[in-house]
Amino acid sequence: MEYSVKHFTSLQRATLCAALDRIIPPDDYPSATQNGVLEYLERQFDRDLQPLLETYHHGLDALHYESHLHFEQNFAHLAPPQQDSVLSRIEHGDVAAAWPVEPRQFFQLLTQHCAEGYYSDPGNGGNPQMASWKMVGFDQGVDL
Amino acid sequence: MSTRNYDVIIVGAGAGGGIVAGVLAEAGHHVLLLERGPHLRFNDVPRDHLRSQRLSLYGHNAGPHIDGNPRVVVNAAGREAVVRPHEGGYHNNAACVGGGTRVYGAQAWRFMPQDFRMATLYGVPDGSSLADWPLSYEDLAPYYTRAEWEIGVAGDSDAIQVQAPGTTPYPMPPVPPDSKTRVLERGATALGWKTFPIPLLINTVPRGERDSCVQCKYCVGFACPTNAKNGTQNTMIPRAAATGNCDIVSQAMTERIETDTQGNAIGVSYFAQENGQTMHHTARARVVVASAGAIESARLLLNSRSPHHPQGLGNTHDMVGRNLQGHYYPGASGICEETVFDGVGPGVTIATNQFNHGNAGVIGGGMLADDFIKPPIDFWFTSLPPDMPRWGLQSKQWMRDNFTRVLHIKGPVQEIPCPDGRVQVDDTVRDRWGIPVARLSGATHSATVDTAEFMRERAEQWLRACGCTKVWSHRRGLSLSGGQHQAGTCRMGRDAKDSVTDFYGRVHGHDNLFVVDGSLHVTNGGFNPVLTIMALAFRSAEHIAKSL
Repeated sequence: MEYSVKHFTSLQRATLCAALDRIIPPDDYPSATQNGVLEYLERQFDRDLQPLLETYHHGLDALHYESHLHFEQNFAHLAPPQQDSVLSRIEHGDVAAAWPVEPRQFFQLLTQHCAEGYYSDPGNGGNPQMASWKMVGFDQGVDL
Repeated sequence: MSTRNYDVIIVGAGAGGGIVAGVLAEAGHHVLLLERGPHLRFNDVPRDHLRSQRLSLYGHNAGPHIDGNPRVVVNAAGREAVVRPHEGGYHNNAACVGGGTRVYGAQAWRFMPQDFRMATLYGVPDGSSLADWPLSYEDLAPYYTRAEWEIGVAGDSDAIQVQAPGTTPYPMPPVPPDSKTRVLERGATALGWKTFPIPLLINTVPRGERDSCVQCKYCVGFACPTNAKNGTQNTMIPRAAATGNCDIVSQAMTERIETDTQGNAIGVSYFAQENGQTMHHTARARVVVASAGAIESARLLLNSRSPHHPQGLGNTHDMVGRNLQGHYYPGASGICEETVFDGVGPGVTIATNQFNHGNAGVIGGGMLADDFIKPPIDFWFTSLPPDMPRWGLQSKQWMRDNFTRVLHIKGPVQEIPCPDGRVQVDDTVRDRWGIPVARLSGATHSATVDTAEFMRERAEQWLRACGCTKVWSHRRGLSLSGGQHQAGTCRMGRDAKDSVTDFYGRVHGHDNLFVVDGSLHVTNGGFNPVLTIMALAFRSAEHIAKSL
């Protein structure tokens, strides 16, 4: 994908996708990346979230180091429970790596942006088949 | 630069200005209606879930443009920030032909007789500017009826008889109940609370050559797909245009009101977009009406400073821009055993006026009602219980299981105004036309917070009585209100020392200058204010028409 070259290194991108899929994991309904959240983010990094791109680079790099400090592996290669434990540390600011951005704030951004892509309208780049709307029941009623 | 002559120039084509234009043009007067925003067709108002007048994370769908329209906001600690229209603290209302009525939820409430006599009924708390209106409910009642019929309200005519005995029935039947209405009725009955359908400025039957509501999921914050939502853009403004007496100029930003040495308004100067270029014009008139909304009308009067009026127009006593108010919106959410969402809009179906007045220990109160349909991302931001994580499988599955089972109750609380909650102008920050921007500071009175807390408890009480298994809500601390319900900045009164206009909206000291919008509200009721803005506009317009 051309955007991945533009916005993230392949390692950052792998870390990002793995984190998004723990924020909204798969079950009977698609995970974050299965429902277009990466496409949402990549579109937004050309627009409204452009000022936050550097924060994302720093945050994803720090997440990578955090993963190595605790489990000696890339974040994307960890088992889901290990990934959750790393994310939980970041959520609460209980980090071991040197974070150039505030970890709790970064996690909050990541969570919010993930929900935006997952639950908003397809016009924003995510949720292409409106799977999240079917999941919650928003697809009922009149559409005009 | 060119100059044209009119009988009346109206600045702002929203709820107030659109009505004044219609009434005066139909009375045969030559009117110029200036609107800073564009004329928006249905397809010009995107159904963007992240950029609407309801949830404006990254922008709006009905203006003003997020670039070139900043305001300065000053927080409680005195820290200043320059904010854009979609950002917190800006207190935006839509900028387009129709103003807020283009995309509003269209709740059509009359204020109660008590709402016009707040100081008499409750006394004036220390530090507040609570006052009675210089007119009574009875003075306004005929104009409420006129707004209900000429703009078009659907509601329960038996219910309005309870609130206002002897009132003319509504022209249209109410929006039908949906699956949550029954649950909320059951809860209210258990508590002994009286409820009724919500009056709405929405066609429930075809009317005025326009269609009826199809009950879609995109009402408040969006444009109506069948044009069944009645604003000034599809009622009074087309009526004004049809007379041939009204020039409607959109995307025209008024710079200032010009006055002569006696203080008479002689016209306005404005910037218009013509063939992609910004042109500066002046226009002359016998009467000028500011209808730009409580923040922008105050800004316009203050920016119309002259050597004879160095503090701005109508501002000899430093009253313009003070008493900015809107509504605290206490409410609660709860989870029902049964499904309460069926995708049938608009979503507001049932209300109680049980707590608008007569509440022990607090001043005033407010209406409580169910809510408009929330798009899922709006729900994610506003409706998760505080103890629910915002990530992980549990969070996702909570959304899946509860989007259709969460009930919302909320309502506007009558604010106790404070003179320190105010609009000024900031000469150091200019908009895209070089005009000093509005500077917002201060807060409401602490008594507003007390009333809001009382109402929040009532909202929780209602949900528990409905059998909700889990109920939650949030306290709002002391802050400034305004937003889409902005009001109070050019309050009506009898004395120039503590008001800006007389009871027709005529600015003290300026015989041919009027304000007609929410700025006039001395207090803002425990209701959505638009029908009161409309009623006042009919009343002021009738007065202006007679005086010309």
